[in-house]
Amino acid sequence: MVSLAEKASEPLSGPRAESTRWQRWNRRLHYFLGLYFLFFLWLFSLTGLLLNHGQWSFAEFYANRRITHVEQPVRRPPAADAETEAKDVLRQLGISGEIQWLTAATEPTRLEFRVARPGLQYEIAADFKIGIAKVQRTEVNGWGTARALHTFSGVRLGDAKNQRDWLLTTVWVYAMDALCAGLAVMVASGVVLWWVRRERRVSGLLALACGTFVCAWLVVGLRWLQ
Amino acid sequence: MRQPFYAFVRDLHLYGGLFLSPFLIVFALSVVFLVHAWVPGAGAPPVRRRAANVALPANLEQLKGREQLTALHAVLDTLEVRGEIGFVRQLPKPRRFVIPVAVPGRETVVELDVAGATADISTRSTGGWDAMVYLHKMPGPHNVNLRGNAFFMQVWRWLADATVYLTLFVSVSGIYLWTVLKSERRVGLILLATGALSLGGMIYGLTR
Repeated sequence: MVSLAEKASEPLSGPRAESTRWQRWNRRLHYFLGLYFLFFLWLFSLTGLLLNHGQWSFAEFYANRRITHVEQPVRRPPAADAETEAKDVLRQLGISGEIQWLTAATEPTRLEFRVARPGLQYEIAADFKIGIAKVQRTEVNGWGTARALHTFSGVRLGDAKNQRDWLLTTVWVYAMDALCAGLAVMVASGVVLWWVRRERRVSGLLALACGTFVCAWLVVGLRWLQ
Repeated sequence: MRQPFYAFVRDLHLYGGLFLSPFLIVFALSVVFLVHAWVPGAGAPPVRRRAANVALPANLEQLKGREQLTALHAVLDTLEVRGEIGFVRQLPKPRRFVIPVAVPGRETVVELDVAGATADISTRSTGGWDAMVYLHKMPGPHNVNLRGNAFFMQVWRWLADATVYLTLFVSVSGIYLWTVLKSERRVGLILLATGALSLGGMIYGLTR
């Protein structure tokens, strides 16, 4: 006996063969994108849940953070823009990550900045007059790292001071972009898969309309109604 | 026995996925804006107005937490400002309150002068794209005690969680539907492993 699943995927012949072939590829696209992005989707879904439920005590990370302080000798980098100088300092200290500027430079002989990567943060204060860099290293547990992965992009809306400057941040951001494009294609291919099932058109339309209505109320409706 | 179960799961996957689709689109689009720190059309100039003789509760400055939020919402209602209060900045010496209030796509900042019983209201329309970004970030990890002070935010808090649970259900049911398709298993397994390895590799590189 042929299962429903296999019946749905078996090749057909006749005048609608071309359309059926296209539908089969659409189904494959839906499956394959879903499988490739499965763990990405789970990571961002579950970390989104963590971010929205900061009160969950099992996922506490900030109270358990580990802070260490070290001082290391540092040479003044050749005169350049702040980012190039900071990268030179990082190379000397053996640290890599996304540079964040929190304050404007106060003295030309000092360089203060933060370096972040998911789960790890360095506050660096380099004093070239005495040739010492004070480094505060803060490490959080796996829950904190997971939360940071969700939001780690190297840039923030409304913060013109900081630009992405670490290659791995760029790779991570492109991965997020790819996931979003993949989700959009999965939604589109899913809609096609639903539409070809004539017997499910009305009930499916109800489900789609419910989701669309709620989203439209939130995204567009609220500012007109309130 | 297997076919009715397969058909049942396929229907649930279909309806769950269709309901979920607009939410996924909202989250996916807003990610692009968030990770590139750019929202089209969010820079509209604010519209300002001033309200005089604002009726303020006598003990407004003494109230704390939720009680203060409830009192402020009542004041904001009289000013026809509705939405989620982001935070409350109380300035004791000049006896002023600065209160950002938002609905998706609109930001309002109300500056209440308690001594003069006036309110300076600045409203800015931030548009539909920014509305998606706002929803993506809400309720979020900040100001947890204040969050959900507007009805829509209580609904959204629930929907944001539901989106996650439904996503997990749709993906797990999708895996089941794929495993039944014997002919697609090999390619599927390769893609699943490739996805896991590429994600694992990136996380390793970012955190090691």
